[in-house]
Amino acid sequence: MKVAYIFATQRHTVSYVLAKMILPQLEQDRHGASVVGMFFFEDNNYVLVDGNPIGARLHKVAKDKGILLMGCDQCCYEREIADKLFAGVPIGCFPDLYKALAGNMPDQVITL
Amino acid sequence: MSPGAQSCCSGTPPRRSVSELVERGLRRNRAAPLPIEGARCADAEGLSVSFSLDVRTGLVAGIGFDASACATLLAYCELVAETMLGAPPAAARQLAPADLAARLPGVPRLKQSRAFLAVAAFRAALAEIAPVTNTLSEEAQQ
Repeated sequence: MKVAYIFATQRHTVSYVLAKMILPQLEQDRHGASVVGMFFFEDNNYVLVDGNPIGARLHKVAKDKGILLMGCDQCCYEREIADKLFAGVPIGCFPDLYKALAGNMPDQVITL
Repeated sequence: MSPGAQSCCSGTPPRRSVSELVERGLRRNRAAPLPIEGARCADAEGLSVSFSLDVRTGLVAGIGFDASACATLLAYCELVAETMLGAPPAAARQLAPADLAARLPGVPRLKQSRAFLAVAAFRAALAEIAPVTNTLSEEAQQ
């Protein structure tokens, strides 16, 4: 099964769910589903800023597994980090996300 | 008082970050078009924009636009509107996409192509100024 994650809430979504559950599982090839994309809203975008330690692990595993990472463009502009993300990580809105996933469509979209 | 409110009350110019330009651009994008309407320009990604102008005493006295819902494009269009207001049309025609992109730091390189679309649409509106002005002059003579 192919899944895409939308990180929409801001509590422990990145520091716990992503960093301590999803990411270690992806690094150990035991996540149980093929992740095709991750899209980040609001403060969750800070994980995509170049130099973020969780983001660095995520960026590496995304490159190894061909996972699309994308930040919400307006969220990144608002935080003035749009041009500070890891190399190759784009910003965009829904049309960009759908277009980017069109060639590798998920079976399920999980909102976290 | 928050720094933003103080800045507003003291009459200092509005900050021109991408996010704040988007905010103001969304409001301008919903406004009714001005008398001189330019052709709608589109890019390969399906984004499009048209500008409308008001020209008085030989100066650009009003700038409006109708743009696709793309944050970067809205920011560039709003930047055109805020910086070209009051300029003579001949000077406004000198605006180049690279200049516009350079005036707005913080936009990733991949998104800077929106500056070309914004400038193309602005120039299309500027190109309509002469015929309208001539028509008005002819009507006035009659």
